[in-house]
Amino acid sequence: MNVPPLVLDLKVVRPERRLVHLWLPLFLLWPLALALGVLALALTIVVDGVLLLLGRRFHHYTVLLVHSFAVIGETRGMVIRFSNQKTAVDMTVQ
Amino acid sequence: MTEDRSRILDLLAGGKITAEEAERLLDALDTHAGAATSPTGSAIKGDPEPLIAALPKYLYVKVLAANGDNVDVKIPIVLVRSGLKLTSLIPPLAMDKINDTMSEHGMSVDFNNFKPEDIDELIGGLRDMEVNVDAKNGDTVRVYCA
Repeated sequence: MNVPPLVLDLKVVRPERRLVHLWLPLFLLWPLALALGVLALALTIVVDGVLLLLGRRFHHYTVLLVHSFAVIGETRGMVIRFSNQKTAVDMTVQ
Repeated sequence: MTEDRSRILDLLAGGKITAEEAERLLDALDTHAGAATSPTGSAIKGDPEPLIAALPKYLYVKVLAANGDNVDVKIPIVLVRSGLKLTSLIPPLAMDKINDTMSEHGMSVDFNNFKPEDIDELIGGLRDMEVNVDAKNGDTVRVYCA
């Protein structure tokens, strides 16, 4: 797994207007995400345990949650550009 | 085991490359070593980095609409791989709903048949994939890996 995204670089260009260039510090959300992740992990472990005891076939919510975090981590490097005759938007996950 | 092989296997173990990519690199290394093997049989000490660098890193989706709207998306291949792996972990009940919804929208893909072991093969197949759509109204769509 890669380092989670650190910054969201957003540029909005409109004719005859100032360039809007924002660096959104995603790393500031990490502590919150960590706290929520730990809580969610504790919950999914309990749920998986109960489902396993009940003999349910699907008891992989913990794995699902961990992989969900992995997917978020892999978004680094993604670029989305949109442009039309009036506006150009450039979004880069760094 | 040569140093190069060890490095490729380390990359595989670290999840940096897939099993199929590792196989291709090892094959390429064998071919390279076989061509340059001396009569004494010592393998060439090649650097696998150029081979690794040649693997596609991104999936590109480019849409050029006739009305001037352009969309350009660059998605890391590792994200595609992780997303596909996540798909194989979705609970069956939720997956059935997803399949039904997709079917209603004309995409009859059964994700229940999507196995984690198929993902590497699918990603490997993306390497050679290129989709070019030229619509009558002038819209063009390009999907490719590089």
